[in-house]
Amino acid sequence: VTKIFVNGREIEADPKQPLIKACHDHGIDVPMYCYHPGLTPVGSCRICQVEVKQGDTPPRIVAACRTPVAEGMLVDTESAKAHETRRECLEFLLKNHPLDCPICDKAGECDLQDYAFAEGQARGRSSEPRRKLEKRKSLGDVIVLDEERCILCSRCVRFFQDVTKRPQLTVEGLGSHSVINTFMDRPLTGNYQGNLADVCPVGALTLKRFRFQARVWNLTKTPSTCAECSRGCAITVEALRGRTVQRFRPRYDANVNRWWMCDAGRFAFGPVTLPRAPQGSAIGGRLAGAAVRGFDGIELAPVDLALDLAADLLRAHPRPLVVASPFATCEEARAIEAFAALLGVAPCFVSPPPNGLADDLLHTGDPCPNRRGLTELGFESLEPAALIARLQAAESAVLAGERVAELAGVEALAKLPRSLRLVLFDVQARDLAALDVEVGVPTHVEKTGHWINVDGIWRDVRAALAPPKEVRPLEDTLAELARRLASEGARAR
Amino acid sequence: VSAHPTYLLDRTRIQGAHTLEVYREHGGYRALEQVLKKPWTPEQVVQAVKDSGLRGRGGAGFPCGMKWSFMPDPKKDPRPRYLAVNADESEPGTCKDRVLMEKDPHGLIEGVLIAAYALRASTAYVYVRGEYRRPYQRVQAAVDEARAANLVGRNVLGTDFSCEIWLHKGAGAYICGEETGLMESLEGKRGHPRPKPPFPAVSGLWRSPTTVNNVETIFNVPFIVERGAEWFRSIGTKASTGNFLCGISGHVARPGVYELPFGVSARAILEEVAGGVWKGRRLKAWYPGGSSSGLLPAAAIDTPMDHDSIKAAGSMFGTGAMIVLDETVSVVEASRVISRFYDHESCGQCSQCREGTQWIDQILHRIENGRGVPEDVDLLESLARGMAPGKTICALADAAAIPTLALVKHFRAELLETIRLGRIPDGCVSLRATRALEETHA
Repeated sequence: VTKIFVNGREIEADPKQPLIKACHDHGIDVPMYCYHPGLTPVGSCRICQVEVKQGDTPPRIVAACRTPVAEGMLVDTESAKAHETRRECLEFLLKNHPLDCPICDKAGECDLQDYAFAEGQARGRSSEPRRKLEKRKSLGDVIVLDEERCILCSRCVRFFQDVTKRPQLTVEGLGSHSVINTFMDRPLTGNYQGNLADVCPVGALTLKRFRFQARVWNLTKTPSTCAECSRGCAITVEALRGRTVQRFRPRYDANVNRWWMCDAGRFAFGPVTLPRAPQGSAIGGRLAGAAVRGFDGIELAPVDLALDLAADLLRAHPRPLVVASPFATCEEARAIEAFAALLGVAPCFVSPPPNGLADDLLHTGDPCPNRRGLTELGFESLEPAALIARLQAAESAVLAGERVAELAGVEALAKLPRSLRLVLFDVQARDLAALDVEVGVPTHVEKTGHWINVDGIWRDVRAALAPPKEVRPLEDTLAELARRLASEGARAR
Repeated sequence: VSAHPTYLLDRTRIQGAHTLEVYREHGGYRALEQVLKKPWTPEQVVQAVKDSGLRGRGGAGFPCGMKWSFMPDPKKDPRPRYLAVNADESEPGTCKDRVLMEKDPHGLIEGVLIAAYALRASTAYVYVRGEYRRPYQRVQAAVDEARAANLVGRNVLGTDFSCEIWLHKGAGAYICGEETGLMESLEGKRGHPRPKPPFPAVSGLWRSPTTVNNVETIFNVPFIVERGAEWFRSIGTKASTGNFLCGISGHVARPGVYELPFGVSARAILEEVAGGVWKGRRLKAWYPGGSSSGLLPAAAIDTPMDHDSIKAAGSMFGTGAMIVLDETVSVVEASRVISRFYDHESCGQCSQCREGTQWIDQILHRIENGRGVPEDVDLLESLARGMAPGKTICALADAAAIPTLALVKHFRAELLETIRLGRIPDGCVSLRATRALEETHA
């Protein structure tokens, strides 16, 4: 290790690592725009300048992102000279930056805004007109560019160069006429465009899907795990005032996804943002409580009644096929396993085939976030076709877990004969001929538990918002049903 | 200026000196033969250049021999090694390398070969400014001739030494004359300067050890080899040895490129060599070495032209390209012309340079057009201080800031007067007005 002194404090750093990284690792704040720990440093924004003294030479101002640590280096991040240099730099950066924070999606999480607030002058010294450039330049389906807000840090350019290894962006023009653009104005492609909105330190690159949707300070942020594939990327679930999910953003995890996530995962809202079923109906949206087959088809019912009916049904048609959703947490899976054991059957889980989105970066192409966990618990993996075949041969079945019907194939399920007695625990009620009872379950942003990812790493799933009032954790619902089965069974004896 | 020994421009006055035949008649490639056949070791050549005290002629004046000695030991570092010759002469006011390339291209090639031998480089690139069509053609023709004569390519003159020389044309960007911008451009990328360290000798072209030298610097090398470091040191001053090419332009009677020893006073150059300020007018201000060197007032005209003296006077020797402004010039307008240049040529990487060059230009433009306020003078100074020195990746920001600081330092009164009047003061002939006048007469 290399020992350096920062603001009088001794710090141990990896040899040759950028000074700014050493500072950040030890909680010493050095502002940055062009520097990003996941990208090649270029040292162009100059906001990270600090004062460094090495040997007998007089102290000098250096860019901390392009200065490797050296043994015995004396660093002062807070010297008057360092502050002054950074303030000067900030003034230049703000010279042409539009004053549209009030309508900027980045406001509240903008590095430029934060640092201008901390260090900047209340009044600008420029009386020149600000640069007029394109305010909304579409860079494809995901990202929109505001050229005026851009501070030309080139993080976005380097993101494609360094991370996806397929360069798509470049700086066009020279000097004060520089702008970011795609090669030959072609729209961006690929599954990682959304990361641009995260790497952009200002509001120049924003998500079309998030544009003007929420002010970021109204978002409650919960660390959780992405459900898109078996990679289990660390994410933050951001919900407006703790109610509606607005964004999934990647969260740094050194072992899994580092700073990134794919667009498929970023926009994989699925049932998370599914609106409730219309008032009084069970079909056509999120199932808030329970539904049973009545005289007029699938009708809303109290959860207690639905569970009673399910218990009766399973007593009349014992040894059902028990199928778990691959979204089931390990905790839910244990509950399903216990429930299956009570009924004397072995559980399986529905496993859709690879979806073709696999790449060499993050996406595994396997749409089952907890395949590893379920497999380790001994659940049999069944492709939808095989599952349907088994269901056709079965007398009764219990399908349990978020999106289980969707993953098994709603169309195929709908064709199952009325003779099959089907109990479903899912987020959405559907008009299936075989369906007898359905009880709502929480989505993955409403439950807490664990998945095991493709590499065997435990992933935390954390409830970011409360499920609808009548929806209870699947573990509780199954335990309730099991209790009924056991007590009724005892009464029958 | 008394009679002084010359060598740099001697051959340029000979008819046909750009051909191999005439070049050889006048002693050409003798230094190369001396190095290769005697033979000298590369270290001996480096030592000779070190002993000569030769300083880079591209603007920074860095000791050439020391720069060469930064190249890593080839025994420990097996990477290929490169020499890049900076012929992207684009500093406003500078046109010295052009003369050498057009009139004496073999002199450059001989220098390149000796330098490559000293640096143990087997590939040399000459990066020629895109607008330099004729110099490019002349150097290319000379390389072809030299290659046919076994002076360039495999086993030069039958020795073990091999060196290829490739020419590369720039596309009109000033920033590609910055050594790391030049390397990026040579690699086929945008000419964005690279942060240093690593220095080119450690990681240059294609991340290999590279030395970048100016044309005139390289041109001096054969003379040092042939006539000795002692002889070279006898010319010029103690710290700035040899002759330099002084391109004097602006309001002088006889503008041109002159060969002069370091240490001659600027007044002697102006009055004796260039025939004094034109039209019998008085001197107002002068740039000692291209537009990036700070403007000096007339009072500083007795300063000797060498690196240290010009530095002591508060400016920079630069490329030795004196630009002379007569008494009718508005220094505000002249500075605005130059600030416009730096705004146009900033590569746009560093915040201070990208925004600062534009800001300075906007302010000067405003002042010139009657919309200045007295606070602008201090603002200019503070902006220039925010840009330099050494606050950015390359020296372009410094090059834009230094003339601005010099303007505020030496001509604050004129700035304030221009602001107060809302126009260029009486006695100054506006460049724009002059041009309009010329157009109506034409």
